[in-house]
Amino acid sequence: MTAVPFSLRRVWLIACVTALEAARQRVFHLVLVLAMGLVLGAHAFREFNFGASELKFMADFGFGALTVFGSVLTIVATAQLFFGELEHRTALTLLAKPVWRAEFILGKIGGVMAVVTVFCALVTLLLLGTLYFRQQTLLAEHPELSESARALDPMAIIAVGVAHWLKFGVLAALTLLIASFARTSLYAVIVGFVMLLICHLHPLARLASARTDSWLLRGVAGMVSLIFPDFQLFDLSASIDSVGAAGAASLIRLVAYAGLYFSVLGSLAVYSFNRREL
Amino acid sequence: MNGVAAIEARGLTKDFSFGLRGVNIRAVDQLSLRIEVGQIFGLLGPNGSGKSTTIKMALGLLESTQGSCRIFGVPSCEVRARCQVGYLPESPHFHRFLSGRELVAFYGRLCGLRGEELRRRVDEVIAGVGLEAAAGRRVGTYSRGMLQRIGVAQAIVHDPRLVILDEPMAGIDPVGVAEITALIQQLKARGKTIVLVAHELTQVEALCDRIAILDRGRLVVERDLGAEFTALEVSQLSAEHVAELQAWLEARGGVLTTRRVVRSRLEEFFSPRIPATRETPSP
Repeated sequence: MTAVPFSLRRVWLIACVTALEAARQRVFHLVLVLAMGLVLGAHAFREFNFGASELKFMADFGFGALTVFGSVLTIVATAQLFFGELEHRTALTLLAKPVWRAEFILGKIGGVMAVVTVFCALVTLLLLGTLYFRQQTLLAEHPELSESARALDPMAIIAVGVAHWLKFGVLAALTLLIASFARTSLYAVIVGFVMLLICHLHPLARLASARTDSWLLRGVAGMVSLIFPDFQLFDLSASIDSVGAAGAASLIRLVAYAGLYFSVLGSLAVYSFNRREL
Repeated sequence: MNGVAAIEARGLTKDFSFGLRGVNIRAVDQLSLRIEVGQIFGLLGPNGSGKSTTIKMALGLLESTQGSCRIFGVPSCEVRARCQVGYLPESPHFHRFLSGRELVAFYGRLCGLRGEELRRRVDEVIAGVGLEAAAGRRVGTYSRGMLQRIGVAQAIVHDPRLVILDEPMAGIDPVGVAEITALIQQLKARGKTIVLVAHELTQVEALCDRIAILDRGRLVVERDLGAEFTALEVSQLSAEHVAELQAWLEARGGVLTTRRVVRSRLEEFFSPRIPATRETPSP
């Protein structure tokens, strides 16, 4: 019997089945409808703009919906799909074939990411369309606002959407790492949300590390800022008004940053799952 | 017993740790077993006796605490060992949104089949388990018996040399049982090795060449079925009971006129060796 090499084809097959299963989950339909509803309804909340321009507010509101519901979708779908395979024992049938566990894990991430991609694309495109129509209306109604109204660049909106998608990729790998050693789906979901919070509060850890005199606190904060990815970096909404070479460079840096964390977290998930008894 | 065995386990042991204090429970204890190529081998035992754990170790899904297991000479922990194995788990679940044909094709593709060969094999195995009419229906609409049959189909789609069937006839109607039985016999006729884990002893007796009985993780009995099995039971009956019965009859003026050899049932052999019920944790 010859050795069985790692196969991207098997990863693809598992990813396709996972994506089909994920797309049938109610959580996907629910968060998609809620996020799209909020994007469409952003105009109704314009009174709460805190002084920002209307279009900027609508964009921020839409990306807020993308962040919240995209995070929920990523964590819940990853945990549910992984534990669904274990609890229904489909993983036993699958891994009794000549399939590497790394192929299984990558297939799961691939399937989740396919659904997250659809989610991000639909919400971002809807937001883009909503902003475009509102921009046209504003330009027609108030010609004097044309300068600020024109400031929203479609490419900048898409770049922010891509940055969110990269963040969800890292979050999916992190959740799968937790799931690879967790015993229940609920545990993986709860710890996933705690990790999401830590990743979003990353700048605070760095600040604490810089300001404190306690070596213990400095050590812990330093460790947190090293181990966990900084999700604030993925928030490019500040650059919505002024995309250009700087925005493109930020995006390229983000791709490298997300790729590094995705690879490390994914590798740890594979290592952990290899040791798991099914 | 020359040549490479389909499955060869040596001193296979599996401990599970439970709780914060790490209480150890031994699920399989020093199991040594050799399953020859071309046999239908029955793995028997009560619930919690270590059958499924043994199978999982043989498939590389569980790591043994001690000992080793080889599939056709290849360590079972290696992925290549599973190229020649088909497996039907107990009470199988599959992706409900796929049709029966898509499901079998999915597992076939995972095993490296593609193109015309894949289509041919999928058609063959679906016909073999009698699911042609329902092959286009979603698996979610299948009855339990149909799930078992599609499970057998996915297990053999890549034409493996070793087929491990965990309770393949559970929940199947008599017609389905007859079809699965015929399919297992066909597989044997084509030189396949089959490991049958079952509780229904009548089916095991009808199909298996050799059996092993596990109890609390230990191998209690490993023996051939058939002539040797029948002869042993007859000799035990003769030695222990018939002469005594004859003497008892003659002392009372009776005469034993007829002796008829009745073949023992496997069930009668199995039950006295295994206590009726027990609470053994099963992983």
